[in-house]
Amino acid sequence: MTPQSQSELDQLLGRSMFEVVPFNVAVIDRDFSIVAGNTNFEEYFGPWRNRSCYEVCKHTSRPCERCALRAMFIDGRPRVSEETGVDRHGRTRHYVAHLVPLMDPTGHVAHVMAMTTDSTETRSWKREYDRLFERVPCPAFVIDREYRVIQANDKFREFFGIPDGRFCYEVCKRGKSRCRSCTAALTFADARDHVATEVGVHQDGSPAHYVVTSSPVLRGHEGVSHVIQIAADISEISQLERELRKTQDYYETLIHNSPSGIIALDSSGDPKVVNPAARALLEWTDSQLPTAARLKEMMPVQFFASGAMPEGKLQLSEISVSSAQQQEIPVRFSAVELRSGRQHLGRAAFIEDLREIKQLEQEKLDTERLAAVGQTVAGLAHTIKNLLMGLEGGMYMVDSGMSRSDAARITSGWQMLQRNIEKTTGLVKDFLSFAKGRLPELRPTDPNKLARDIVALYVDAARLQRVELSLNLGADVKVAPLDAQGMETCITNLLSNGIDAAAMRAEGGGEVILRTREQAGDLLFEVIDNGCGMDCEVSRKVFTTFFTTKGNKGTGLGLLTTRKIVQEHGGRIDVESTPGQGATFRIRLPRERLQAIANSASEPAISSHGAM
Amino acid sequence: MTDTKPYRILIVDDEADVRDYLRMALEDAGFVVETAEDGLEAMESVQRSAPDLVSLDLVMPRHSGAKFYHDLQKDKTLSKIPVLIVTGHARDEMGKNDFNEMTMSGPGIYLEKPVRHDSYVSAIRSLLGIQGAEDHMNDSERLRGELAAVLSTADTGTLQRALDALKKK
Repeated sequence: MTPQSQSELDQLLGRSMFEVVPFNVAVIDRDFSIVAGNTNFEEYFGPWRNRSCYEVCKHTSRPCERCALRAMFIDGRPRVSEETGVDRHGRTRHYVAHLVPLMDPTGHVAHVMAMTTDSTETRSWKREYDRLFERVPCPAFVIDREYRVIQANDKFREFFGIPDGRFCYEVCKRGKSRCRSCTAALTFADARDHVATEVGVHQDGSPAHYVVTSSPVLRGHEGVSHVIQIAADISEISQLERELRKTQDYYETLIHNSPSGIIALDSSGDPKVVNPAARALLEWTDSQLPTAARLKEMMPVQFFASGAMPEGKLQLSEISVSSAQQQEIPVRFSAVELRSGRQHLGRAAFIEDLREIKQLEQEKLDTERLAAVGQTVAGLAHTIKNLLMGLEGGMYMVDSGMSRSDAARITSGWQMLQRNIEKTTGLVKDFLSFAKGRLPELRPTDPNKLARDIVALYVDAARLQRVELSLNLGADVKVAPLDAQGMETCITNLLSNGIDAAAMRAEGGGEVILRTREQAGDLLFEVIDNGCGMDCEVSRKVFTTFFTTKGNKGTGLGLLTTRKIVQEHGGRIDVESTPGQGATFRIRLPRERLQAIANSASEPAISSHGAM
Repeated sequence: MTDTKPYRILIVDDEADVRDYLRMALEDAGFVVETAEDGLEAMESVQRSAPDLVSLDLVMPRHSGAKFYHDLQKDKTLSKIPVLIVTGHARDEMGKNDFNEMTMSGPGIYLEKPVRHDSYVSAIRSLLGIQGAEDHMNDSERLRGELAAVLSTADTGTLQRALDALKKK
């Protein structure tokens, strides 16, 4: 290749390069006049021929105050400068100028080549980035490889305080050394995003809960030069979570330790809670919860029926559940619909084991019955002693009558023997009927009609004893489940006692009233007499022993039998009396219990008879 | 009190058969007997005329034996009257408390029903301090009894002789 051709090649190359490079290129002489410019330059800044650089690029009439070219013509060193100028359309433009000195053969800088590239967009990106960095609604900061915070937004300063070039662990956690697990370290190592939940310290010293995301800032071959960290404040959320946890623990402890069995279903009917008491009750030993189908076999059907909870509640007092071992367990069952506002969350059941209560009731009944047996035996012994005394007397009279040949005495002796033998027979009969009794059959009965019928039977007999027998019927007395025959026996016994007491009034004018009334859910029968009354020692003993104050007439079993029948009706009997002023015997029958006894009459477990 | 004037006993019991029996047993033994059905009647009787001894049942309607006894103890003169308790309730719930209290503070002698006529009479004699007089008081009765016993087993000849002997007198 010849130098000629070499020079031509260079020229050709220079010219085409001048045109092809992706820069706006201009050559400027020492007078700041543009002597050459490529197409890019002209397209960017407009016509340039015979004009100075400041006229073309900045639309000014004088050279720039801080002109890089001027220094270059003196020291001949290349420069890079960020400039703001005006493009050919008159728009303000930012651009970066790479300035290269061009030497003449004498080594003087005769021209400078300016290669500029537009940076307006880059700048606006940077501005956007800065704005984003500031505007991001959570603390954000940039750390370098030394873990110094080199940039932080306002949120960060609000949250952690002013970084002041300190290490991130100092600012965020008030630590003295790097954290053991550090997302920034991971990001520095693998140039990926890493997320972790951190607990730091707020500016005011209170604990700060946040989720931090570390992202790499890459710079060419250097790899990750910086890490940008964005912390999402979750202090409030974690505070709420803790509160929620507490509340949940609170209720879970309650449910867990409740002596009542608690079972809860979710809105689709799947079991969600079976507390230990419920597990024990149902003999459910599996660590898994029973399935809905399995639970249905154990619970009352009403719990699952869709329409069974009209007011969101269900109460079943006498019902049983069936345990995993197929055992029927009597329980008190209540259920409630679980709602949050209008949203149906499921339903819950509360189950109270009644076995122990039933057991205690039974034991109490047994104890009472045993005590009654004791009292009865004592009373019986006394009655028998009196009968023996009568027999002793009869024998004495017959014996002594015979030795005196006193026929009258023998006769009355025999009579006394007969009387006492009759009384023995009566006692045995009464005693057997008391001891055996019969199961009460509770049928709907009108208490007022019952009272009327009894009084009709006795009014004449009472009149014979000069006693006025009358009725006082409560208008609000309703039909009740009663054993009419048993109740008649009770009332008859009380009436007959009352009539006898009233008949004993020395002054006459004996009166007995049979009264019916309702009081606070109880049905009351009262027999009120104006007879001699009883002192309290007598009234105390009157229902528990073979007490008779009627001389030869009674065996003392009447009131005892009465009390037994009343007790079988779930009721009680008491007496109010003042000596000399008459007495009121009151049969009190709680209607709730009457109904319960009537309902459970078919269940053998409820019957408690025949022990005596 | 002299031998010629018989002792007067008040029997208090609510059972008519018991009153009749005890009255007969005492009258046969030579006592004069009053009766009362309950504590109130007994009090009236005692106030009318104080007996030499009261035979008292404990559990009675209206005014019990225990109450009557307490009333008796309140009166200076009446409290000196000896009381014999005759009861079926000495050991049961109805009479136990009263009974214990009374035997602690008072008579010290009681009879539990049923009582035989002879033990009843001898308890009353013992309380009155006239144990020794039993033979005298009861002579004719005893002889009559013995005679009746002999007669019931005697043959016809013996009966004839006995009848003759009695007729001679």
